[in-house]
Amino acid sequence: MSPGRTFVEKVIDSHALDPADEGLYRRVRIDALLGHDATIALLVDEFERRNLKVWDPDRVIFTNDHFSPPATAERADISNKFLCFARAKKIRHLMMDRGICHQLLVESPLCRPGALIVGADSHTIMGGGVGACATGMGSTDILFALATGTTWMRKPPSIQIVFRGTLPTNCSGRDIILELLRLLGEAGAQYRALEFWDRAEPKLSQDDRFAISNMAVEIGGKFGVFVPDEVTRTYCANRGDVQPIDDVQPDPDAEYERTLEIDLSKLTPRVAKPWSPANVVPISEAPEVPLTVAFLGSCSSARLSDIREAAEEVAGKQISPNVRFVVIPASVQVFSDALRAGYVQTLTDAGAVFNQSSCGPCGGIDKGVLGATDVCISTSNRNFRGRMGHWESQTYLASARSVARAAVLGRLSPELYED
Amino acid sequence: MHVISGKAWVFGDNLNTDVIHPPEFFSLDPDRVRAGLFHKLDPQIQPNLEPGDVLVGGHNFGCGSSRETSMRSLKLNQIGAIVAIDFARIFFRNATNNGLPCLVFRNAADKERISAGDRLNLDIERAVLQLPDASEIALEPPGAFIRQIWEAGGLLSMLG
Ligand code: SF4
Repeated sequence: MSPGRTFVEKVIDSHALDPADEGLYRRVRIDALLGHDATIALLVDEFERRNLKVWDPDRVIFTNDHFSPPATAERADISNKFLCFARAKKIRHLMMDRGICHQLLVESPLCRPGALIVGADSHTIMGGGVGACATGMGSTDILFALATGTTWMRKPPSIQIVFRGTLPTNCSGRDIILELLRLLGEAGAQYRALEFWDRAEPKLSQDDRFAISNMAVEIGGKFGVFVPDEVTRTYCANRGDVQPIDDVQPDPDAEYERTLEIDLSKLTPRVAKPWSPANVVPISEAPEVPLTVAFLGSCSSARLSDIREAAEEVAGKQISPNVRFVVIPASVQVFSDALRAGYVQTLTDAGAVFNQSSCGPCGGIDKGVLGATDVCISTSNRNFRGRMGHWESQTYLASARSVARAAVLGRLSPELYED
Repeated sequence: MHVISGKAWVFGDNLNTDVIHPPEFFSLDPDRVRAGLFHKLDPQIQPNLEPGDVLVGGHNFGCGSSRETSMRSLKLNQIGAIVAIDFARIFFRNATNNGLPCLVFRNAADKERISAGDRLNLDIERAVLQLPDASEIALEPPGAFIRQIWEAGGLLSMLG
């Protein structure tokens, strides 16, 4: 008999359309498809030229988030091209200016445990935070999937990551994933799935899980999936899911390429230095660096708990006069929750500026991009050279708490947590 | 797509798609997409590319964003092929779907035998890269599925 199967193997098998495992690639059906203005606009002409139909407009989530609202006439044209296409195809979940696509995906019941999802953006992998096998692809793959509801996929080997112990209160999911990047490197999970087992006490929060799954792609991962548990079920129930959850679980004798046990009790806040998200050190070993920009935003972070932690750090204080602190909640839902909780007031009083939910400066796109002399501390996922703006600018990646602390102090410092 | 001939452009490890094609060159205008290739890394690369040129990379070539403008730009600049130690997953899929051959060295150490500007002949059938002194470097032959997509003329030709 074949050995036990990993979580991802089970999900791929249950979506396979070809009977046997023919070679490495299998044709699979997908449960949902995610796209946004920038990458969907790239496939519109080809889709129309071939006279194709969307396989199931009810299972498609399209979001206008990169150029939201557009800052230049060219971007307005791209956005309009995308919106016209989405409306003509009667895309059921077309969301204009409602937040970042990956956050909107996980706010949707389409992103369910055990689902197979593809998206026209690399951070689609974040759906793994609720146990979905979600992965990013380019526009050509997405065009094919949009027209057929299928794609080709290789069954990846899995790396099992087991979290144990108790996460210290000054750490979050961001510090965990930065630590994993330090341990595994930028290609440590290339062509592989990361299967996260949460044995921490208490269990990691759903927001922490999203932060971890989001940056699994920075390790090269194809999927970064949390094995569904009560945290997942509670999240889905609170989201208002009506359909019961398929309880997919890995077999006890599943084969993993390797297993990594992480004792969270030993974790301390981390930072990734320029220009790689894997260039990670403990903040206590970070260099002393004056900052000009602090950014709390992107799909990687900027959820309610991140904004709460930042608000805790700045309450009753002032952001350093040398620092511009830009906050962009990951979705309008998050923004509205943060408003109600008073965090927006606290952060605004301290000197932070809020922009509307969108990608913002994360991909060097919108307000808040960096100039040549800017040094930024950011909750985003990539500090690649030039990504957030000028080629000479520098970005450090850290948690929302660390970003807020550094914004108040005006610099990154090994003493950031010594008070 | 039998023998590809062009000069070598050599890069290091973890060459990400933001460096290959900076986000500010994201556009639907082909001229702008073409001009953006490696623009921030070195603005002298793109104007000096010739059709058929071969990019030589290290580990994890093409990591990062899935934005297919990087691929469009490589195609618009008529890059002939990419040879690297290994490729990031999404990039490899995008390249395959668009018919841009991406091959890996059989021995990673062979990358060091190639110098920037070398005239290379890449024989895809034999999976061999020929250097200017006529010596050869062995590559991994592409798998059957990858060939199938190339032979169909890209993924979209398989839409039926
Ligand atoms: S927030 Fe940044 S990483 Fe996330 S989808 Fe937008 S540009 Fe990409």
